[in-house]
Amino acid sequence: MSASIREMRQADLDRVLQIEDASFPTPWTRFMFSDELKRVGAGRVWLVAEKDGVVIGYAGIAVFGDEAHVMNVAVDAGSRRCGVGRDLLLHLMAEAVALGAARITLEVRTGGREARRMYRNAGFIEEGLRPGYYSDTGEDAVIMWTGTLTPAMISAMRAADEGSDVVLAIESSCDETAASVMRGGIEQLSSVVASQIDFHSRFGGVVPEIASRKHTEAIVAVVDEALEQAGVGFADLTAIAVTYGPGLIGALVVGLAYAKGLSLGTGLPLVGVDHLEGHILANRLADPSLEPPFVALVVSGGHTALVHVPEWGVYHTLGQTLDDAAGEAFDKVAKLLGLGYPGGPVISRLALEGDPHAIEFPRAMMYSGTYDFSLSGLKTAVINYVHTEQQAGRDVSHPDVAAAFQAAVIDVQVSKAVRAAEEHGVRAFCLAGGVAANPALRDALQRAMESRGIKMFVPPMLLCTDNAAMIATAGHLRLRRGGFLQFDAEAHADLSLDSIGGN
Amino acid sequence: MRLVIAFDSSTDHLAVGVARLADDDTKPQMLAAVDFPARRAALGALLPTVRELLADHELALADVAVVAAGRGPGSFTGVRIGVASAKGLAHGLGIPLTGLSTLDAAGWRFCEHTGLVGVVGDAMRGEVYPGLLRCGKGRCERLDTDRVSRPRAAAEAWAAQLTEPVMLTGNGLAKYAEMFAELLGERATIADESLWTPTGVSLIDAAWAESGPVSLRTLASLTREQGYALAGPGALLPVYTRLSDAEEAERDRARVAADNAAVPSSGVSGPLGGER
Repeated sequence: MSASIREMRQADLDRVLQIEDASFPTPWTRFMFSDELKRVGAGRVWLVAEKDGVVIGYAGIAVFGDEAHVMNVAVDAGSRRCGVGRDLLLHLMAEAVALGAARITLEVRTGGREARRMYRNAGFIEEGLRPGYYSDTGEDAVIMWTGTLTPAMISAMRAADEGSDVVLAIESSCDETAASVMRGGIEQLSSVVASQIDFHSRFGGVVPEIASRKHTEAIVAVVDEALEQAGVGFADLTAIAVTYGPGLIGALVVGLAYAKGLSLGTGLPLVGVDHLEGHILANRLADPSLEPPFVALVVSGGHTALVHVPEWGVYHTLGQTLDDAAGEAFDKVAKLLGLGYPGGPVISRLALEGDPHAIEFPRAMMYSGTYDFSLSGLKTAVINYVHTEQQAGRDVSHPDVAAAFQAAVIDVQVSKAVRAAEEHGVRAFCLAGGVAANPALRDALQRAMESRGIKMFVPPMLLCTDNAAMIATAGHLRLRRGGFLQFDAEAHADLSLDSIGGN
Repeated sequence: MRLVIAFDSSTDHLAVGVARLADDDTKPQMLAAVDFPARRAALGALLPTVRELLADHELALADVAVVAAGRGPGSFTGVRIGVASAKGLAHGLGIPLTGLSTLDAAGWRFCEHTGLVGVVGDAMRGEVYPGLLRCGKGRCERLDTDRVSRPRAAAEAWAAQLTEPVMLTGNGLAKYAEMFAELLGERATIADESLWTPTGVSLIDAAWAESGPVSLRTLASLTREQGYALAGPGALLPVYTRLSDAEEAERDRARVAADNAAVPSSGVSGPLGGER
């Protein structure tokens, strides 16, 4: 049973002081609380959380014009880690915003790990340090601030906590214009993808300028279609989520500019999603039993990376490609063999008929001891092999080249993936991104992981390629964490997963 | 109160204007305007500027009845930032979206100047967007259509065609003022550099001067629902005047004759021989 929240009264002070004395090395005195309660109604809000008639926590905030300062948050030792602190904090934030606060600040002991985490997960960002602020222990204070808040943002965070949030997600980072409506991060109400591939394929790859133009042309219709299929209007939504990186900058800009305009027009809060986070979260959408900690291998036309996920929203990139992405290597080899674009599906089909041992291509960085990848050397080896054979007048077996090339890619990916999973002691491993659609890679990883007792998660084919459903699922998590974008937000072509952990 | 909000981020200069729509087909009454240099900063600056402008003048977003966006021609990314933001805003508000030529808006700054105004927009890559207007008594009339040209060809065409003085303006003059001045000789006056880009006022003026079924003037006479049905946010497209480099090169290789090489409205050619 969850606690109920109400205003603090003088009569609560005995119990409040018990909790206060047990929680802090230099507790507030009865006089201080009493004095604060006299100011309630004049820019002060003090709340208690009550369970079975007993106060188990309390919190207070002071509002000064358009800024508010969290004064105190404490929860009885026996009731911690149950979301009581968060519940109090979100109520306080809502009250402060209702009283006119736009941004909220607080300071917290550097050693208060759990507290810092709770604030981070409510949208507070660590912006500075006040050295030696706590005279009792000489500890530094971390100063945290929220961005500009609206009442809609706080109610959206609470809806996400309950799983009742309805998120419209928008994705335009490469050559698919996509929109999706999702309830609670898991119940897909619609997912619409407008592919532009017919406009790019004859150029052997994505033409960024064409992608940006097609996004501009399609985005409103794609969003309308997603809303219609979901049977909802803007008024039914809780928030908007948008991919703001990484990807083609001109393409990202269209989705972000549109989403910001939509956020302004509807008053709906906007959260930003990292495209790779979306790919990883496609696994959660497909199988909600996925929980951190796990390691993910993200492989697509633009990315090849091994990522450790110790908890939702925290990403540590263990290694990534130093040159070509895996999907890019497939495209380039397909182009060399005159097989058209995109290269992934056709190479994996051809490889079925070929002998993976017919040609010995290099396994670059297989034993480098790092989690980084290099694929341009392999691509060059394939080019050299084909040219040498052609010059010698010998027929090149396309199936053998495809099979041997694919085997070289997979060997390295699997060996590094296994080592990363074992080194981090995880019981779950995720494959994500467009190249996750490659059946041979899926099978090889599945075998390798399951033989070691590690549960393997692979998204269904439809969720491997770019889509907005995965952005909506990631958006739900970002919403819970208060990861809002302001109207001045920029797109980031090189956005790094590791940088988004602190929001 | 019904408002029109107009903005343009097609050049390195950001401009936003807000005006009150009249009920009797008279020109909207200007309420607020701002413009400032925002080189590569439009995505971050545009919507905060819109919000601040409305707030500073105690105007409510809920009263906005039409959005008008500069369609270019200009920087491709800059134009898309303006058009995509406008699409989102109009979509979210459930109101119609109309467009205006960025070159017209640059020209309209000289609506009190009697005579010809030649706008030289910077098209980058050694090219310009030339646009010719006849202005006077608070009005301008556009004499040609948006296109891209080599600067020398544009200057030579005006030199051959024009028999009267012309006021030259536009951000393309930063690179090509001398070339135009030389070829047009005594006919040319170079406008002061501070007047080369659109303002909030000139955006509203240029939008009001547009005609046709989805123009601001038509939409002003309709209800929100009628206007949305006629000019929903999905329909408006940027004016690019040229294809992507990849498609231009493809057309060059296939030797598509210049007069067959019109850029389709979407700005994307699709495979040769069959449009879209």
